[in-house]
This record gives sequence, structure tokens and C-alpha cells, in this order.
Amino acid sequence: MRETYGKSLPGMKLNDLAGKLIVIEGTDGAGRTTQINMLKTWLEERGHAVLDTGMTRSPLAGEGIQRAKEGNNLGRLTQSLFYATDFVDRLENEIAPALRAGFVVLTDRYIYSLMARAVVRGVDPEWIRSIYSTALKPDAVFYLRVGIEQLIPRVVFSRGFDYWESGMDLFPAHDMYEAFCSYQKALLREFERLAAEFGFEIVDASRDAKSVFSVLKDRILTVLEGAPGEASLAQQISERIDRMLRSPEGRLAAGASAAGQAAAKGLELAPRHFPGSFPRANGNGRSA
Amino acid sequence: MDHFHSGIPTAALGAGQFAPETNAGAGVRIGPFEVFLPRQPISQASSAVRPANNQEYPGRLFIVEGIDGSGKSTQLMLLHKWLESKGYGVVFSEWNSSPLVKDTTKLGKKKKMLSPATFSLIHATDFADRTERSILPLLKAGAVVLCDRYAYTAFARDVARGMDREWVRDLYDFAVRPAVAFYFRVPLETAIGRITASRDCLKFYEAGMDLGLSDDSVESFRIFQGRILEEYERMIPEFGLTVVDATLPVEAQQAQVRRIAKRHLDEAKELRVKP
Repeated sequence: MRETYGKSLPGMKLNDLAGKLIVIEGTDGAGRTTQINMLKTWLEERGHAVLDTGMTRSPLAGEGIQRAKEGNNLGRLTQSLFYATDFVDRLENEIAPALRAGFVVLTDRYIYSLMARAVVRGVDPEWIRSIYSTALKPDAVFYLRVGIEQLIPRVVFSRGFDYWESGMDLFPAHDMYEAFCSYQKALLREFERLAAEFGFEIVDASRDAKSVFSVLKDRILTVLEGAPGEASLAQQISERIDRMLRSPEGRLAAGASAAGQAAAKGLELAPRHFPGSFPRANGNGRSA
Repeated sequence: MDHFHSGIPTAALGAGQFAPETNAGAGVRIGPFEVFLPRQPISQASSAVRPANNQEYPGRLFIVEGIDGSGKSTQLMLLHKWLESKGYGVVFSEWNSSPLVKDTTKLGKKKKMLSPATFSLIHATDFADRTERSILPLLKAGAVVLCDRYAYTAFARDVARGMDREWVRDLYDFAVRPAVAFYFRVPLETAIGRITASRDCLKFYEAGMDLGLSDDSVESFRIFQGRILEEYERMIPEFGLTVVDATLPVEAQQAQVRRIAKRHLDEAKELRVKP
């Protein structure tokens, strides 16, 4: 039985969300996207069906948020609630259905980043927590921890400074570099608090991507072994289809029935806009 | 538990005041925002917060509530005309009208993508933008602000859709409490008669068709609006809504509305009037 942080959403059944919900958290430039891409490939090779999701990727609110951010006049409450809308749309229509189908859900950020951003902007921490009390508790939260010293070169030598990542709405009188340092430091401090409150598993992300990846793999294996259950459902089906297809006499019949089964399964499980394990058109992995 | 009392801070947190170094200190609470405060786990969320009633601002906020067909918009329009004729600086804000958010709401409704939870959140987002951008600054500037529907609409509709009553009230914790919240009370059948006479068809979400109450839109509307009426009745004592009998003649209702509004305007000393 999966738990929430206190309240549940109408129609959200908690007793059959058997997949694994794995959160990768970390500030901008911590390497979340790189790790998620590697983890997804690795998990699929092991036979797990994987859904990856992240901020502003909901069909409902994703574009609206991007548009609202272009104007640089998005207030902090509006911002917090717009992101909450995006989150809940993905929770109801992507994350929960995927968990129900036994997927491993890898999410690039979760409610914690949204809480941190709101709180450093002066929003009441209790208020933002009450909104996210309907979120599902994940099976693990890996916090990719880097210091501000390592963060700056990563940003400078990759994509440069961004208005919102620099918290320019908070520091309009600063230049982007100064704003980035103040804002990211405040976020890092808030993450430390959240790490204690929500029991994050801290991963030293100042090391190279390969070392971080191998630490994450080890820890995720523990999560997956914890309760094999539904995570292996997809694997079982695919093995069974393989077996049937390998036997020459069963090929025709098996092919038809396996396809039928898969189709039936697909129909039954397919949520409204379920992206499966395919990358989303607007999902370049960068949460904004 | 004290809900729906905390406004936006009177002194907004500016860049110069941003002091994360001292962030872990004891709580100084300004509305839903606080600069320095103790962190608490989710399970202990929502303690009493400082009320931010309209009285704290120079302007005055009047809002109208009621089910579709109650005649509230007509009454608000008449109040608006009267206030303008008296020379007050009046601003009108409509439910669902934020320039940043309304396209998303429209998309969600058109494609029927909204669940009870996202329906609730997107409307709260719209309301937050209007609060941050217009309602609050205008009240601080001494304007008379009129809202056609307010947080109470969300409390009624979202709970009728199955959202947790307390959760929705927490969600709107940032709303300024109005000087007067007029509730136009009308029997269900009267409202249905007015609505069906003036429209060809009922809209999907308006009729609560997303809840699968009935395949017939009028029947679904009847059940859904009935639930909404129950929620409004519950809110009359909870929030001190001012009940207006919406079966009375338009003129009689308006006279009552103006009388009550006038009392509040006379008390307000810093109202801005047209130059």
C-alpha cells in the first residue's frame, strides 16, 4: 500500500501502485539529466519498463508555464500553483498509471524542488506542504549534492546563466552571476533542510558522472530488490513472449495471442496521455 | 485550525530584505509568507495565521457568490454603476480571467483534461495571479475592488467534485478576506429555470459532467449544483457570508446590496476617489 503525505486525491487508489517511484533531486547543474538518461538505459537493459518525467512536461500546464515565464512577471504564488497544477496532472495521468502498470518511474525532481523554490521566495513552508500533501511518497529520493563552487563552472561552461535559475525575480538589482550565487546558495541550504525532513539519500555529485552513476545503480538495485513484485511483470511478459516465439510450432498462434495480450494490456493500462518509455517532445530533461 | 485568513504581506519581501542566512530563526509571519521561520513537517501543517482582513488595507473588497442563474453578476454590475456614479475608483475582477493562466484553463476544459484536482489547482493559479497582480495592490492603493466569484466558489465546486474540504481551504490561504461577501441564495429549481431558458446547452464542467453523475446534462447540472448549494449553506456561518434573497425583485436586492456596501464605504477613510 503506497502512502501519501497526508491527503489523497479523489479517485487515486493507493493499493495497486506496485511499481517503483524513484526521485532524482538536486539543484540546477547537479547532473540530474545525465544520470537519468544513463539510469533509464541501464534499467531497460535489465528488463524494467521505465517512465521518465520531470517538471513542466504535463500536456495541461507545461506550455502555459513556459509562456508565463517568458514575460518575467510571474508572481511567486502564481508560480507555485502553476507548477503544482503541472505536477498533479503528471501525477494523475503519468506517474500513477505507470506505477499501476509496474513501471519504474524515474522523476527528474519532485515536490521537494518545488517546495525549495517557493520557500526561498518567501512563501509559507506550511502552505506549500499542505498543497503537496496529496503527493505519493516515493520509494527513494536521491539527492545529488554539489557545492556552489562546483555548480558555477558547470553552468558557465554549458548553457550560461538563465533568468529563473538565477532567481532574477528575487534579485532584480543584481547581475545574473551575483543573483545566481545568492539564489543557488539559498536553494542548497533549503535542500539540506528538506534532506533531513524527508529522508533523502545523499549522493556526492561533485565527482565525475560515471562514479555518481555507479553509486546510484547500487542503491537503486537495493530499492528494486526490496520488493520485486510488479517491477518484474513487464520482464515476465517479455520472457514469456520470447519463449513462445522461439518454439517453431507455437510461432503463429503465440505471435497472435501475445500481440493480443499486449494490446489488451495496453488498452487496459493506457492512461490519457501516457508517454510510455518514449522521450517526450518537449521533454529535453531540463526542468526549468 | 484557522483558514483563509492570511493575506499577502503588507511589506512584500523585496530583494534587499532577502536574508537566507537568518532563515532558520524563529518565525516572523507575514501572511502566507514568512521571512524567518521554523520548518515543520507536513503532518503538522497549518497552524493559526495572522488574519489579513480587508480592514488592513485602505481599499474595500466586495465580492458576489451564488450558483449559476442566481443573478449575482447582474447585481454586481448594478453596484459597479452606482459606485462609479458616486465617484469611487472601482475595479472589477472576474473569475478565471488571469492573462497568464486562462489559456491553460481553456485548454484543459476544451480537451476535457481536467481532473477534480487539476481543475482546483488551475483555478487557484488564476486566482493567485489576480491576487498578486491586481486585487491586493489595488486594495493597498485604496480602490474599491469588485469580484464576480471568489475563493468560496472554489470551496463549493471543488468539494462538490470530491476534493478534501480542508485542503481546498488551505490552498486559498493567501486570499484577502473581503469586506462583504454577498451570497445570492436561490432555490435550485429557480436557477435551473433561468439557466435553461437562456442557454442552448450547458457546458461540460459547469454541469459537472466530468463526475459521471448522469448522462443527461440537465440532470447532471441539477445534482452537481445541488451539492454546490449544500457547500454554500455550510459556508454562510463559517465565513459570515451576507445572504441576499435572490428570489426578490432585482431592485429590492440591489437596494439591500447598496445599503450594506455604503456602510463599509463610509467607514473607510482612505478610499481613493476619482480626481
